[in-house]
Amino acid sequence: MTQDKHTPYRENIPAYAIGALDADEIAVLEAHLKTCASCQIELAEFRALSEALLMAVPPVSPPAALRQRVQRRLPHVHKSPRPRQIFSLNSALGLAVILLFVLNLLSFIQLQEAQRRQDKLLKHLEDTQLALMFLSSPDVRRLPLDSEKVAGALLLDEQRNQAILIARNLPPLAENQAYQIWLIEPDEERISLGLFRPEEGETYTLQILSPSQPFENYLGIGVTIEPAGGSERPSGERIIKVDF
Amino acid sequence: MSREEENHLIAQIAKGDELAFLTLYDRYASRVYGLTLHILGDPMLAEEATQDTFLKLWSRSREYLAERGPLLPWLLTIARRVALDRLRLESRRPLLTDSSDPDEVWKNLPDLHSNTEEARWRSLYFAVQTLHPNQRQVIELAYYQGMSQSEIAELLHLPLGTVKTRLRAALEKLRKVWKEE
Repeated sequence: MTQDKHTPYRENIPAYAIGALDADEIAVLEAHLKTCASCQIELAEFRALSEALLMAVPPVSPPAALRQRVQRRLPHVHKSPRPRQIFSLNSALGLAVILLFVLNLLSFIQLQEAQRRQDKLLKHLEDTQLALMFLSSPDVRRLPLDSEKVAGALLLDEQRNQAILIARNLPPLAENQAYQIWLIEPDEERISLGLFRPEEGETYTLQILSPSQPFENYLGIGVTIEPAGGSERPSGERIIKVDF
Repeated sequence: MSREEENHLIAQIAKGDELAFLTLYDRYASRVYGLTLHILGDPMLAEEATQDTFLKLWSRSREYLAERGPLLPWLLTIARRVALDRLRLESRRPLLTDSSDPDEVWKNLPDLHSNTEEARWRSLYFAVQTLHPNQRQVIELAYYQGMSQSEIAELLHLPLGTVKTRLRAALEKLRKVWKEE
């Protein structure tokens, strides 16, 4: 195709990439794009720019209260009823309405709590089934935990590149703490695999580990106590170490 | 935060892990709020849009495909869509003036010199700021206000051809900056 034939289409590509092309021109350009490799390359470059423009807006810290509001809106989060001053109401009718409302609210909360427990049990069941599958697989290695405080094992399936950390008697955490799992690289650098915090009353915890790189690229894993938001590098007490 | 950790957090969120969700919130809330505030020009609306964006992250975490790219552009694409929808709902367009001081606004980034990507975004931001005012205006209206070229022509009482020329020239300049960085 000659340059003359490209030009009218190519002129519309920047606007198309950022979503500013008018509807009647979109269909024409899209038909051309299907058959023109050079215009597709041009489009890819402007799409990359479009994505970069999202990041080119300076960050602004939102009000601290927003975090809590977002957290409260999460569908499964248990919501505590606010204390209500029902005794300030004089009307018996008003009191009855409030009582009905409170009873409904309590029923709703109980339902939510039951749902949350059910979700938790289902997840636990899934994790346990996966652990059983691991235990019955001949390809899985069972590695002991190097820990003075914690009992358990790491079940490592190198073929699937998946592992399950089973840990009992984890020391209790302060409210602002979490456990952080680290992959140990051959040069002793650590890569975070994420955070977890056992539920209160749990006798043991199962953590499924699925790194993007093969496990054989690492020397082992470690678990440390870190601030609730996690750390860039291990900074707290090491609770578990497992050598591959 | 490494890609590995990000992917792990997303997988945990898909399982309902609130701690993982809050970790990503702490990491990216300022980016989402910054973008929605830029689009909506109103702190209250920006807070609502930020909240809606993160609730979508919670409910749609299974839709995120790590092999298609990092999380942040995906999250900000959702944030832009949420904010533009809100803008249409409100049927209002914020003023195009940007009162923020370019030297101040990037101070809350971690360490600009240690992160190539952040430095590239910063250069692009300054490139937008130094466009000719006419070109910057059409970029703001088209990209950050979600207007089509004919809507911009109508708003500014300009011929459609003029708007197209300005937008194309602006985007060509920005592409050059982005490629050279």
